[in-house]
Amino acid sequence: MRRLAIALAAFGLVIAACGQPAPGAGTSAAPSATVAATASPTRGGTAIVAIWQFPATLAAHYANQTVTDIVDNGVIEGLAETNTNGDYIPTLAKSVPTLANGGAKVTSDGKLDVTWELKPGIKWSDGTPLTSADIKYTWEIWMKDPKVNNRTGFTEIASIDLPNETTAVVHYKSTYAAYPLNFSSLMPKKLLENEADISKTDYVRRPLGTGPFKITEFKTDESITLERNTNYRDPNRPYLDKIIFKSVPSSQVGLAQLKAGEVHAMWNLTEAQTPEVEKETSLSLLVVQGPTVERIELNTAQNKEYTDPNSVHPVLGDIEMRKALLYATPKQQIIDKLLFGKAKPGSSPVSQGWAAYKEPQEGYDPAKANAVLDKAGWVKGSDGIRSKGGVRASLTYATTTGDQLRERVQQVLVEEWKAIGVEVKIQNQPSSVVLSGSCTGKDPRKLGTFDLLMYASTPSIDPHSTILPRYHSKQIPTQADCSGQNYTRFKDPEADKAIEEAGGTLDIEKRKAAYAKVMKALNDAYVIIWMYDRANIDARVTGLQGLEGNVWRRFTWNIQDWWLKK
Amino acid sequence: MGRYILRRLLQALPLLFAISVASFAILKATPGGPLAAYEGNPDFTEQDRLRLEHAFGLDRPLPIQYISWLGSFLTGDWGYGFASHQPVLLLIGERLPNTLTLMATVFVVVLLLAIPIGVTTALRQYSVFDHVVTGTTFTFLSTPTFWLGLLLIIIFGLQLRWLPLGGIQTPVAAFDLGDRLRHLILPVATISLVQVGSHVRFLRASMLETIGQDYMRTARAKGLAERVVVLRHALKNAAIPLVTVVALDIPELFVGALVTEQIFGWPGMGRLFLDAAFRSDYPVLQGILAVSSTLIVLSNLIADVAYGYLDPRIRYS
Repeated sequence: MRRLAIALAAFGLVIAACGQPAPGAGTSAAPSATVAATASPTRGGTAIVAIWQFPATLAAHYANQTVTDIVDNGVIEGLAETNTNGDYIPTLAKSVPTLANGGAKVTSDGKLDVTWELKPGIKWSDGTPLTSADIKYTWEIWMKDPKVNNRTGFTEIASIDLPNETTAVVHYKSTYAAYPLNFSSLMPKKLLENEADISKTDYVRRPLGTGPFKITEFKTDESITLERNTNYRDPNRPYLDKIIFKSVPSSQVGLAQLKAGEVHAMWNLTEAQTPEVEKETSLSLLVVQGPTVERIELNTAQNKEYTDPNSVHPVLGDIEMRKALLYATPKQQIIDKLLFGKAKPGSSPVSQGWAAYKEPQEGYDPAKANAVLDKAGWVKGSDGIRSKGGVRASLTYATTTGDQLRERVQQVLVEEWKAIGVEVKIQNQPSSVVLSGSCTGKDPRKLGTFDLLMYASTPSIDPHSTILPRYHSKQIPTQADCSGQNYTRFKDPEADKAIEEAGGTLDIEKRKAAYAKVMKALNDAYVIIWMYDRANIDARVTGLQGLEGNVWRRFTWNIQDWWLKK
Repeated sequence: MGRYILRRLLQALPLLFAISVASFAILKATPGGPLAAYEGNPDFTEQDRLRLEHAFGLDRPLPIQYISWLGSFLTGDWGYGFASHQPVLLLIGERLPNTLTLMATVFVVVLLLAIPIGVTTALRQYSVFDHVVTGTTFTFLSTPTFWLGLLLIIIFGLQLRWLPLGGIQTPVAAFDLGDRLRHLILPVATISLVQVGSHVRFLRASMLETIGQDYMRTARAKGLAERVVVLRHALKNAAIPLVTVVALDIPELFVGALVTEQIFGWPGMGRLFLDAAFRSDYPVLQGILAVSSTLIVLSNLIADVAYGYLDPRIRYS
């Protein structure tokens, strides 16, 4: 009967038991399962990983699904990658070029030259050698193919010289700071150079890589089979012979299969599913604090289509009102009750990596919220809702529809805010609208047609591409130029100056200080409530070993080290 | 008859055209769009958006988009899915055998169950059997498939562990007929239980009407065996309206079952459609909608023709 109840709950027929505190609620959500190398790894075996979404394509340059990375991690490699601390480590390169080791040089006219040396003897899984020409080809494809997902970094490259088979010198047009990860998915020149349109080749389903595995079968909506790459550079890896990514109808079915031992691991659990895993001794969770931050953005300009950036929101234009909303937001309670303790209160848009800003926002204190509003002249009416100068403290609160967790958070907050005299009406829309990111797609953030809007966003590894478009006053989207992402219409000349400073230097310490200044200014303006830093949660049977958390990458990032206990 | 069919086919053309225009308009009027999925990526810029819009042809005026789609569709080029970059025809081709397997099994199971049950309930009107069947069929008829499917998964998959929780086969193993059949049972049961109900109701009503006819008494008076009377005289006449209903089921064979395929992770047409709908993958949606609307129009014609063939009293004009 228990199983029935659990299944019903998770299938959404019954609301999951959100009232009961999770085991270990409120304690640290640090990685709870890292390598426990008690026994030495054994070779062989097939691991089955449940995925509840199916990749539409596996070509890294086209894909826009997280699940693509889950599979590609076993197949496609780049020159360098990131370890969990955000440090760059070499993958196919001998070392990561830096100013210190001379691999990266700033030219006299302020541009950047980066010299990459490939490790010797590396082959693609079809046996052809990897050469520096593949590096140049990767850049060319990314710039040439009109269907690539984005061209970050590649647009900054002026030219690439190939002095020999294993060396590539990349000439950047500027001091592009995030250069180490520019080439994180190399493409095989020899295989593809004669194709007119790669999107119409078999490569989109069976990309060729240098990774520990190669794709041997792609059955749409069913399974993807990876087999050992016999040309892999490390003769002792991978430990597993085969990995099968198996499509499951939902994450709940995936969990049921995991419990039944039909699969060895599953990707992406919700926080609400974790107590069920923690109860089973044969299962283990991998909880890794990710860089994704759930936030509520407060519109400081008027709520209307193509709002004037300089207009003032009748309610949220008052900083005291914004403060009060923050004080009446019980982040920790929400995390404990609704996220089963598997998250941390948010504090900034950059919670991980070298530029992380972790100064917390002020805590939950409804009395203070009331006091602030009283002082600012917001007077409670007969219905308990405040008003000031004829303006009623009534706001709309939008997020994506169909997200149970977000809907529950909304219910909590509507009550909390009502208690301090602010009326909040829920006005949700599908994520394809709310997060469409375009004016034509009627994204309320772009148009300015929202009061409070809750969503999550993940920063780039280099903080500049997050901070500049989101918090510079010139990045407020308007009808003339809809591209900016400064959705709260935050305007602070000091912050603008700091952002520009940070963008003009490679000096990490200077950049870090400048970003900290911006994020402090942002929090001092009370325009965003950082709800929580969300964790990536995956699960495995304890017999599957070698998994290790990585903040910046998905759990299959070290798949070559996975092994099955016999 | 030949002229009638030709005329109906010609009439169908403007209808299909109107359907395709309407479905195109509805798809385009839906907020969001195929590029919404890229937005989660912090590196995705406005320039990328404009480039992709151009690459997918979304920056052209709507009438031009429609005409260019229609032009290539009619010449056999159904375009490429935005998300998968695969030809729409290939995407449909991959899913179609799975959907046919599922829906053809359902089709056969439903008829094998519905005909004997329907006939028996009519012959034994107001018997205990009739009441039980009536009660059961109404229960299943009013059960939503998504609920029934989940219930079956919970009972037979999770609790009893008799049957797999979803999918079309066990991925590790080579082709195994037994394994495929085991995966078929629950989805087939889910759809069949609901459909059997409606067919039984239909056949029962139509049988009851036939049984009371004069020629039935004549047949019995001639001394024909009861079996012959029921099968040859009653059922053959009573089945005529059922043929219409069955013919109208034909599109489902190809289009699949949206909800059931999703619940059971069945890699068929219904799931392709749903995934494409979530992604606003216009070429895939347009392709499937074109196939299904054509099939619906055709199966209506087949039903009409079959009806006239089986019942000589019907005349076409």
